[in-house]
Amino acid sequence: MKLAYYPGCSLKGTSFEYEVSLLKILEVLNIEIKEIPDWNCCGASAAHSINHNLSVALPARNLAIAENGGYESILAPCAACSNRLKTASYELKTDDILKDKVVNSLGMPYAAGIDINNMLEFLSGVVGEDKIKSMVKKPLNGLKVASYYGCLLVRPPKIMQFDDPENPVLMDDLVALTGADPVDYSYKTECCGAINSLSNPDVVTTLTGNILYDIKKHGADLIVVACPLCHSNLDVRQREIERKYGEKIGLPILFVTELLGLSFGIDPKDLAIDGHMVAADKVLKKIKEL
Amino acid sequence: MKIVINEQNRRNFVSQVESMLHDKLSKCYQCGKCSAGCPVNFEMDYTPNQIIKMTELGMEHTVLNSKTIWLCVSCNTCSTRCPKGFEVAEIMDVLREIAEKRGINSKVEKEIRMFHEVFLNNVKSNGRIFELELVGKYKLKTRHLFRDVFLAPKMIEKGKLKMHGEKISDLNRIAKIFKDFE
Ligand code: SF4
Ligand code: SF4
Repeated sequence: MKLAYYPGCSLKGTSFEYEVSLLKILEVLNIEIKEIPDWNCCGASAAHSINHNLSVALPARNLAIAENGGYESILAPCAACSNRLKTASYELKTDDILKDKVVNSLGMPYAAGIDINNMLEFLSGVVGEDKIKSMVKKPLNGLKVASYYGCLLVRPPKIMQFDDPENPVLMDDLVALTGADPVDYSYKTECCGAINSLSNPDVVTTLTGNILYDIKKHGADLIVVACPLCHSNLDVRQREIERKYGEKIGLPILFVTELLGLSFGIDPKDLAIDGHMVAADKVLKKIKEL
Repeated sequence: MKIVINEQNRRNFVSQVESMLHDKLSKCYQCGKCSAGCPVNFEMDYTPNQIIKMTELGMEHTVLNSKTIWLCVSCNTCSTRCPKGFEVAEIMDVLREIAEKRGINSKVEKEIRMFHEVFLNNVKSNGRIFELELVGKYKLKTRHLFRDVFLAPKMIEKGKLKMHGEKISDLNRIAKIFKDFE
């Protein structure tokens, strides 16, 4: 199957660790993906917040380039990008008038047929549990890992068609494949406030604080995510949250690709784990001693 | 507070909202489940179900100038849980878009609106987001020059803040898309 890769802006910037670790594990898994040529920003939350048609047209250009390039499916590791691509694809399937306008504006055909996978769908559906399990060289036995899903992977369920929207388990299942223990807690799909991270930081630190302290209470060693926006809030703003509430958290936030990479026995440096704001040294030491 | 609403204006507003929403306001039976699960309800001036009712009543000035429509983080919890399958999150998008198109310069939460505008301008000029430029322009516009700057040194050290942005080749196409849909 020809797989197109839509990195999105975050993976080329603040969340470069996500791309580095993804490419590394794909190399080990021997899976080839091809970056969509000349891809553009999906418009993120800004577009759908103030201009619905633009929020369909911007992602549509990427969908059309991939489809016309003969690809059957797209991997969009960023939860926000995959959400916008899936939403645009849904709108183009269900709104013929808008579709005609968009196709016209793009100046290229689009049949609205290409499939979009977020990272978790890709790992469990395309790569497959058996293949992942067979690559685990360094089982993370005894490590307690909380999976945080946030909003964009699961909602709206009508369009995302992803797991159970109130209690998803796909990421927990991947965690279990590495030998680690998935941690159960209450805030799996609560919002971290992502879209207003820069424009309303006070609300964001409150929402993100609720998530972090709940996970901490449930005894996790670390948190895994599949979204650069979640990662930014949980990782980059963690010190600020500790100051706001006067209570230490100290939870490293890893991308799911990094956790898999560690279980494959890949050097943490090759997974860019040292690129996070919250140091993962303690956890890495614990893994080394396993 | 005495509010006088002209029936014709009310109908016009309701039909504008409903046609953008592809949903009927009368579907909502005001159970409040959307508002109960809304993560930012504690900051809002009106709860999501109040916004729906006020829209139906034609209180356009109030809803278009509310904090709620900008504070909404589009988490979609409301729509997911609504027993009537009403598009609650989407009504927030629709009202924001109407407010934006009408150039309503509401004094509340204007920084959130500005962020969306600066973001889209960045997409328009580069085809992709250049984070440093985005943050810089946003700060200049809002004059919040020092908010969050304490994060910068460590982010640079970690390699998180790239000094150069990427521009896509086919910027003409991006310009056309913006021209067609803006
Ligand atoms: S949950 Fe649905 S029916 Fe209930 S108040 Fe909200 S929109 Fe109306
Ligand atoms: S989408 Fe907006 S209104 Fe709905 S629950 Fe989330 S923040 Fe609240």
